[in-house]
Amino acid sequence: MKLEVKNLIKSFAGTEVLHGISFEVEGGRALGLLGRNGAGKTTTMRILMDVFKADSGEIYLDGKTFKPSHEKIGYLPEERGLYPKRTVIDQMIYLARLRGFSTSQAKSNAKKWLTRLGVYEYEARKLETLSKGNQQKVQLAATLVCDPEIVILDEPFSGLDPVNSQILKEVVGELIDESKLVIFSSHQMSYVEQFCDNIAIIDQGEVVLQGDLKEIKKSYGKDRLILSAENYPLNELNDKLKTDGKYPVKIHGKTKDYLILNIEETVTKNDFLTQLIHSDIWIEYFGNYEPSLNDIFVEKVGEEDEEA
Amino acid sequence: MRKFLIVLEYELREYVKNKSFVMVTLLLAIIGALVLFAPRVFDMSDFLGTSSGEEQESDTDGEKETMLLYDPESLIDRNMLKQAFPDITWQDADSTSMIEDKINSEEVQAGFHVISYTEYDYYVLNSSLYSDESSNFETVLSASMRQNYFEENNINGDEVEALFNTPITVNEQILGKDSTDNYWYSYILVIVVFMLIVFYGQMIAVSVTNEKSNRAIEVLITTTTPNSLLFGKVIAGAIAGLCQVGVILGAVLISYQMNRKLWGGMLDMILNIPAEVLITFALFGIGGYFFYAFLYGAMGALVSKTEDVSKSSGGLMMVIMIVYFITLLQLSNVDGIAMKVLSFLPISSYSAMFVRIAMGTVEMWEIIVSFVILAVSIFAAGFIGARIYRMGTLRYGNPVRLTAALKELRKSK
Repeated sequence: MKLEVKNLIKSFAGTEVLHGISFEVEGGRALGLLGRNGAGKTTTMRILMDVFKADSGEIYLDGKTFKPSHEKIGYLPEERGLYPKRTVIDQMIYLARLRGFSTSQAKSNAKKWLTRLGVYEYEARKLETLSKGNQQKVQLAATLVCDPEIVILDEPFSGLDPVNSQILKEVVGELIDESKLVIFSSHQMSYVEQFCDNIAIIDQGEVVLQGDLKEIKKSYGKDRLILSAENYPLNELNDKLKTDGKYPVKIHGKTKDYLILNIEETVTKNDFLTQLIHSDIWIEYFGNYEPSLNDIFVEKVGEEDEEA
Repeated sequence: MRKFLIVLEYELREYVKNKSFVMVTLLLAIIGALVLFAPRVFDMSDFLGTSSGEEQESDTDGEKETMLLYDPESLIDRNMLKQAFPDITWQDADSTSMIEDKINSEEVQAGFHVISYTEYDYYVLNSSLYSDESSNFETVLSASMRQNYFEENNINGDEVEALFNTPITVNEQILGKDSTDNYWYSYILVIVVFMLIVFYGQMIAVSVTNEKSNRAIEVLITTTTPNSLLFGKVIAGAIAGLCQVGVILGAVLISYQMNRKLWGGMLDMILNIPAEVLITFALFGIGGYFFYAFLYGAMGALVSKTEDVSKSSGGLMMVIMIVYFITLLQLSNVDGIAMKVLSFLPISSYSAMFVRIAMGTVEMWEIIVSFVILAVSIFAAGFIGARIYRMGTLRYGNPVRLTAALKELRKSK
């Protein structure tokens, strides 16, 4: 199963908010849509779900025009909401039946997902009587009650405590293992990093970076090193590398533990290591730089903002 | 269609499960039935006017009111006075001040000072809107004057009176409709359908708005079509309203039929509704109710907070009120041009055409055309309502104005 989004453009009240969003995702792989508030993630998801119509652009599933009403989709919208004054099980069955299940199938699926998410004991309770965390879990159970092939989760971790986040992580992991096509947005990069194979960073209505997360990390780490010294604090090491003028590196950045260096193209990492060994710098850490998703996100979105 | 039925079933089940809805329905039905069964338990013969003549006489003897008569010229015939006021004990007064004193001290109910055959003063503490004492006294005074004239001129007064008061028998053969009888049914049913529309329409609008305020709408519209959702919700609300009214009205009508003799047919003009009147009411009244139910549903979709529902439905309420008042004011002129026009408009045919059928002259083609217009309008209101509902999705904040919503719908075509 392959979902392709091509060149989505959308305006609200004459203002273009999506300027040609494109990405693709395959079954068994998860796509993380990343972006700052107002970047266009939710609008993109709503266009996918046909809540809004795009002004232009195409969406294909396995090469055919994507029609959400014809597919089994589990959608968790950003605006969470079910019926607060109705019982949990009733609304679960209702939503499952609306997605094509018979009453008995709907009942057994509702029980299955309520049990899986640890809220089965509340099935006969009105939703409003549950804690916020449990309401979130019921909402997620309602999303998955139709055993969807495509799962679209808009900020699924928002409002969840660490224990509930862990349960959600496991469930999303299982969905990916079951070859479901998963798209989700989040501000929490650590979760995206854990189970997203692909990412698409959206900034101001445009995809500014996308692709395989490992490849992206690799390309961002290419020609970059980390370095710290036992005999120089980071600030002094920073000054020394800059002022001595003999080292073939430029300072790219600094974390609390080490400096991030860009090595010149004409020099190998081994050459630079040899040079360090023969200098008065006592190496504490030396190695390849592996950027976190957060680093990539901040760097990419920051760059875009500066350019803008 | 399947999804519409699922929505309809779910929404209806929620009404049935709603304890306050069920309790109100049962409570009102039971109260209505109890009131109508009351004559079986309590002696209500006085109130219903079904007590025997003897009982009435003995009752009234003990409760006779007193009135004063100051008639210095002895112009009034006392026998006539007693016949005209059978429940009154008459006392003579010797001055107008005595009448005033006794009335002020509430010893007597009223008093009369006869000045001449053509003039008298009437004294009473508080004048009642429905009192006929003065007009009865006038009748006695003028009869006394005639009696006096007959005596002075040696005319046989009884013969002349008999001549002037010859009883005439009227046999009314109503070939069309009896407006007198149907007036009350029509009046009551116009009020019933008005209340149905206003009360349940508002309830339907609130239930649609609730979906936006609790944010369930985004999940729902990605699960099924807006048509299924709006038609399911509105029709469920409308059926629930009809069931509630049906149960209450049914309990009242059946209870009345079971106790009709005990009530002496007193409530026939309201509760003994002929079947054909009920059928036309069912066609047009319920049709109009559904038409407005969809419009209320659309109004509910324009706002995102339940407290704003009255803002968006204010215009609709105004239309309903205007139709209601015009219909009631035109009940005495059901074949007039105003009612003819109103009986074809979907906003008013539910009451105007129904009243014309019940009380006026109307051709079959007019009924068919009016009903077809109403039926088409119900579906049109439903589909436009569903589009407004869909358009109003995710529009939170200030209420969307109807004109703006319609403009946007036209643009999106």
